[in-house]
Amino acid sequence: MAAAVEIRFYALLRRRLERRRLAVDGDGLSVLDLLSLAEEQAGRPFLDELLDRGRGLLSGTMILVNGENIRLKQGLATRVHSGDVVDLFSPAGGG
Amino acid sequence: MNGWMGRIVTVDLGSGRQEELPVSDEMRRRYLGGRGLGVRLYSDLCPQPPDPLAPENAILFMAGPLTGTVMTSGRFQVVSRSPLTGTICDSSSGGSFGAALKSAGLDGLVIRGRAERPVYLVVSHGQVEMRDAAGIWGLDTQRTQKALQERAGAKASVACIGPAGENRVLFAAILNDRDRAAGRGGLGAVMGAKNLKAVVAAGDRATAIADPVGYKEMSLRLDRAVDKNPVTGKSLQVLGTSVLVNIVNAHGMFPTENFRRGVFNDAEGISGEKIAESLLQRQSACYKCPIGCGRTTRTRNKSGEGPEYETVWAFGAHLGVSDLSAIAEANYACNELGLDTITMGSTIGCAMELCECGAWDAGLRWGDAGRLTGWVEDTAYVRGVGADLALGSKRLAAKHGRPELAMQVKGMEIPAYDPRGAQGMALAYATSSRGGCHMRAYMIMPEILGHPVFLDRFSTAGKPEIVALFQDIAAVVDSLVLCRFLQFAVGISTLSEMLRTVTGLDIGDEELLRVGRRINTLERLYNLRAGFTRADDTLPPRFRNEEFQTGSSRHRVVRLEEMLDRYYAVRGWDPQGRPTAATLAELGLQDGRRG
Ligand code: SF4
Repeated sequence: MAAAVEIRFYALLRRRLERRRLAVDGDGLSVLDLLSLAEEQAGRPFLDELLDRGRGLLSGTMILVNGENIRLKQGLATRVHSGDVVDLFSPAGGG
Repeated sequence: MNGWMGRIVTVDLGSGRQEELPVSDEMRRRYLGGRGLGVRLYSDLCPQPPDPLAPENAILFMAGPLTGTVMTSGRFQVVSRSPLTGTICDSSSGGSFGAALKSAGLDGLVIRGRAERPVYLVVSHGQVEMRDAAGIWGLDTQRTQKALQERAGAKASVACIGPAGENRVLFAAILNDRDRAAGRGGLGAVMGAKNLKAVVAAGDRATAIADPVGYKEMSLRLDRAVDKNPVTGKSLQVLGTSVLVNIVNAHGMFPTENFRRGVFNDAEGISGEKIAESLLQRQSACYKCPIGCGRTTRTRNKSGEGPEYETVWAFGAHLGVSDLSAIAEANYACNELGLDTITMGSTIGCAMELCECGAWDAGLRWGDAGRLTGWVEDTAYVRGVGADLALGSKRLAAKHGRPELAMQVKGMEIPAYDPRGAQGMALAYATSSRGGCHMRAYMIMPEILGHPVFLDRFSTAGKPEIVALFQDIAAVVDSLVLCRFLQFAVGISTLSEMLRTVTGLDIGDEELLRVGRRINTLERLYNLRAGFTRADDTLPPRFRNEEFQTGSSRHRVVRLEEMLDRYYAVRGWDPQGRPTAATLAELGLQDGRRG
């Protein structure tokens, strides 16, 4: 799966899923579709940590594609490609 | 009186004389308490900026109108002129000392002069007593607190200095309630220079509430809001502040090896996630705080409090160190000896670069985890290489002929967010009234974390307005006095509601923001008198000229010039950064020349 999209989980997501990463065959998918596929593959629900009921981004959710926040791209409609790295952070903070 | 105790006492350590400092209702309305009222009183007491370590300097311990009431209200602010920066400075600490000061009957304690021999102060029943500290001078902060609590009772709260403060290290901290620190700006050295080892507060007075029914209803709502919020209700509790390590690293702005890179390859190994599964014993919380962001930890050899995000960074990525136990133990040592972890770590990083480039022959090397605690101890006792480290990075780098290698603003080391990755944060560092500090306007909130709205971190558009607004809100929170982490869950209107239900003062959101603006402007006036100019509202050349080659903040530099003029205009300051006559009139600061 070298050409898959790599998803990395952090913070509370990592604790919930008990895994750090997941390779998903998601070339050409939107981030939203990628995440749905990942949830299926992970075998445990986690999207509620990132998305609201209307399936928009929760305030404070950070999803980075190759280090860039999707809010600066096309949001959940942003397309991903094989070899991309997607970092998922549920809302977090500190100082 | 509701909210406030209505009593502030001044003590002269030289003569032992104490007197009440009169504060009018008008003054409380205009400056609240904590930072705001502290800076106002300080400006009046020391209109000509004194040598921070001279007897003429004053140091104020300030509670606020909300202290001892709503959640997170155990905190206090210490106000003085900083020996590290020369700016006006206030430093905030958690725990319960603020609440204890009010239970002892005071809104604030003003200390002037210098005692002939080491002393400590005991505050109770609205009075202050000076006692001989001969038996505790030289003790670390933990033993000092224990000894004084044995004398004053376990309920007493102690704010004290350790050896670093006694030795006047320019970034000595004040520790209270075990491991809570008023860390930044070196106000522990001001205490040390006064021969003042500690302030002990205890009492049983309750803060009177103006509207008990409204207060109760509001408190319930507040509980729910904090609980429901994913940051205050979950993330901070489970993972503490170090959850930021992976976040900031993923944004390519986790300062590595003295800000030469923005990605630390071993970030996972020092992350909040890693701490939670290795060192963490339990979470810890300040007075009346349901959030509990503190971490009680244990290494192979010791146990203690921390590390928080900033400390993980300062002794970790900043030095090329990924040994979490070594980082935690350096943190414990800073707490015991009374040192600010950010300036300590940042100064060591500066020293490592000085050594690497041959400017200083002291043998400090990147990644040398085994020597961290030794360097901290040497600094606190001002011996060996510690004699130079005790200068802080600005003076250290200048002494060795490479001033540009100190990552500081106005002498204060900037913390764990590389400004090239967030333009608003860059402007906030440059214009903060106490130098390179992230807490004056935490622009990471909108620029990285997406609270309360998400902003493009690389854009400068609109940033001057938002930085000024964030600075004003921060000044309000610091003056009420509450924990800034509440800001993840509540906005300005909740703050004015809190003020109203507790004190009866109904000034509304807009006026409350004006209070924040007044405080920031007053601090500006003080810094102008202390000799700071527009030229000091800047960042080290590294951030303006050098780009990262890797990570998601690569090929970026700070574009301060695009923002600074506009920021001054938003503030009502002239192009040199001086408040205009119209601004002073609007804020009721016409006596601004006097401060
Ligand atoms: S959130 Fe953390 S720092 Fe703030 S009051 Fe609570 S425990 Fe203290």
